[in-house]
Amino acid sequence: MIEAHGLTKRYGPQLAVDDVTFTVRPGTVTGFLGPNGAGKSTTMRMIMGLDRPTAGDVTVNGRPYAQHARPLAEVGALLEAKAVHPGRTARQHLLALAATHGIAPTRVDEVVELTGLAAVARKRVGGFSLGMGQRLGIAVALLGDPRTLILDEPVNGLDPEGVLWVRNLARYLAAEGRTVFLSSHLMSEVALTADHVIVIGRGRILADMPVQQLVDGASRHVVRVRSPQAADLADALRREGGTVAPGDDGALEVTGVDAARVGELAAAGGVVLHELTPVASTLEEAYLELTADAVEYQAEALDDAAGPTPDGAPR
Amino acid sequence: MTTTAPARGATQAVAVQRVTFGRVLRGEWIKFRTLRSTVWTVAITAVVMVGLALMMAAIMQVAADTPEMSEGMSQDPGLQAIGLTGTTIVTFGYSFGALAVGVLATLIVTSEYSTGTVRSTFAAVPRRLPVLWAKLVVIVLTTAVVVAVALAIAYVATAPLLDRAGLSVDLSDAEQVRALAGCVLYLATVAAFALAVGTLMRHSAGAIFTVVAIFFVVPLIFSIVVQATDAAWTDWVNKLLPSVAGERVISRGAETDALLDPWVGYAVLAGYTVVLLVVAAVTLRRRDA
Repeated sequence: MIEAHGLTKRYGPQLAVDDVTFTVRPGTVTGFLGPNGAGKSTTMRMIMGLDRPTAGDVTVNGRPYAQHARPLAEVGALLEAKAVHPGRTARQHLLALAATHGIAPTRVDEVVELTGLAAVARKRVGGFSLGMGQRLGIAVALLGDPRTLILDEPVNGLDPEGVLWVRNLARYLAAEGRTVFLSSHLMSEVALTADHVIVIGRGRILADMPVQQLVDGASRHVVRVRSPQAADLADALRREGGTVAPGDDGALEVTGVDAARVGELAAAGGVVLHELTPVASTLEEAYLELTADAVEYQAEALDDAAGPTPDGAPR
Repeated sequence: MTTTAPARGATQAVAVQRVTFGRVLRGEWIKFRTLRSTVWTVAITAVVMVGLALMMAAIMQVAADTPEMSEGMSQDPGLQAIGLTGTTIVTFGYSFGALAVGVLATLIVTSEYSTGTVRSTFAAVPRRLPVLWAKLVVIVLTTAVVVAVALAIAYVATAPLLDRAGLSVDLSDAEQVRALAGCVLYLATVAAFALAVGTLMRHSAGAIFTVVAIFFVVPLIFSIVVQATDAAWTDWVNKLLPSVAGERVISRGAETDALLDPWVGYAVLAGYTVVLLVVAAVTLRRRDA
């Protein structure tokens, strides 16, 4: 369980995280979604006590993280890949961290095995690929068998196999009753992994709801309708306040009027329908809508600095 | 790479103990000894200190064969005046030692920042201060042990040469024993000083530059300035410099107004070190990692 109240972080004039309040509950995978630079990592660092909030507070399992007697048993965190001295082996890095909590070396070997690092555990981290570094970060997170997991962009740099593995791992850990909080700037990833989603943009919480509700609640609900009397139907729909756009292959794409009402209008007007399909907007679309402002803001900021195209725009 | 569902490991009860200082110390010790660069630096420091002592002893032995030194070097008034004794030879490599342990102590903190390890470290020990104190214990004890061993080897290895030169180390002379122990103390304190600078500055290059400037460049400049002017303040600044003050504890302790007494000098260096460590501890707790 993670509870943030009015959490704020200011870097000089820039407000990285702006008065966010949220709760991450055990037993579910909660996605933390937002464009790059939206404040995800800063929020996660504040949860871990690495960054000091400008205002507000955050507790993990009822207490500020630093006040736990056995921090690694409370929270396991992957905050950045390869945050390891390149001259140490993966196993040595894990052993040093394990020692602080009196965790037995057998547990180190266990997480090495679990994360698929057995073959490279005794090699120096300097030669690791991003994917292997990511696996090591996850091994660190699992080391203390924590009740809460915080994973910042856990699938970055992983091959498809690894992505699937992380997804299963997150779901499995949540099913065990643990709190799993994972961030991503990729919609699809959150849609596939998370039950609940917190969307952040420009440091503010834009949405905090079940993934399904985010999709359902998206303002753009389209109904595809096909009719030999398309013109008549379009008139009737416009009178009802709907927006009608000609879709491909002669179908109409209707927004603002739901499928049931389209059917009623057709029946009332004696219009023959060949197709009537409600098209749920994807999470991707819902996300784009929510974060449109945040992304625009980023693009401007980067344009000013003559920087590269923002990769904050979701694919 | 495994793709199987995460079966065991997450479900079994894992024995996780409370974080104690002893455990943090064990973790820091593992980090210290698992870097090859660290192990090599420590080994080379010891080897060079012994080597320099041997080299100086050999030079002394050759010099002792000249007719002016026929009564033995320890009887020579000129050498007496500059405070040369057998311990001067045995501890001859202390400057190199200070450079090596200063850089090493700086790096054990700054490398954590440059590699990002510090975030894993503070995630495991979010109270942070035990990490600083554990690093302090590791670097100070390692330095003390390695320097003590190097001096012991240098003492034994140079004994035949120094005996022939009439410049034997006299362990019944309290001043000479103090100089040998002082060498261990001085280098251990330089390590603590450098650790504090590293903690405050975080960046390897800047912190190493600062340590080298404080212990090697500034004293060099002042040794020239003091010669060049009569201004009293330059004498004072010079004798209160961390290295000039601290090194007094290794010296024979010839009385002179231009320098502090051995233990007073060491106390000045120790004072700076304590102040820096306190400031480092306060900022370490406050700053974002």
